[in-house]
Amino acid sequence: MNSAPASPDAPRPRLVLSFLVPAAFVGAYFAARMGLETVEPGSRAAIALALLPVPFFAFLIHAYTRAVRGMDELERRIQLEALAFAFPVGLLVAFTAGLLELAGFPGKGNWDLPRLWPLLLLPYWFGLVRSRRRYA
Amino acid sequence: MTSLLDFLSCVADTAGVDNRLRVLRAEREWSQAELAERLGVSRQTVNAIETGKYDPSLPLAFQIARLFAQRIEDVFFPDGKPEVRP
Repeated sequence: MNSAPASPDAPRPRLVLSFLVPAAFVGAYFAARMGLETVEPGSRAAIALALLPVPFFAFLIHAYTRAVRGMDELERRIQLEALAFAFPVGLLVAFTAGLLELAGFPGKGNWDLPRLWPLLLLPYWFGLVRSRRRYA
Repeated sequence: MTSLLDFLSCVADTAGVDNRLRVLRAEREWSQAELAERLGVSRQTVNAIETGKYDPSLPLAFQIARLFAQRIEDVFFPDGKPEVRP
């Protein structure tokens, strides 16, 4: 495992990852959602708007991967434990909400994926905090 | 003063401690941050190793042993006590 010293400019990618890249994605996402309400569904403009956040999220994945490569071995383990917790919990939330929606609770259309996905970040943050505390 | 306190707390915690990292660091009067910088890891990693909450990878364990000019088995003890040399 790579435990080479971090480069002097290491804090910069961390700042980009932790603030600018997610902010760009969230901005693109809400721009797409607002734009989709003003265009005709099924039109080319609607499809283009729906795909607008994709490059931003791809950049987010790239920035996250780079940040993980720059971490030391304990921080990588913490990330792995957080993701190992968040992925199954996220699946659980998604399929349970889907089944509850099919069952008519708590109202049709309230738990669709565009509304649900921000909640899927919570298990990751919870896992991160839990894992960091374990090794603190 | 900090090094002395680190050393004393290490002595007090001898039972269950599976490495001598804190003692070796205290002998050199290095802070956790200084040791972390020399090893290229975070201070949290050094702290987690010292407190036995995290076992380092083999490359990092060798790097630690090399840094202190020790054999790896003189720094890390799988069964909780140092190996007795013949």
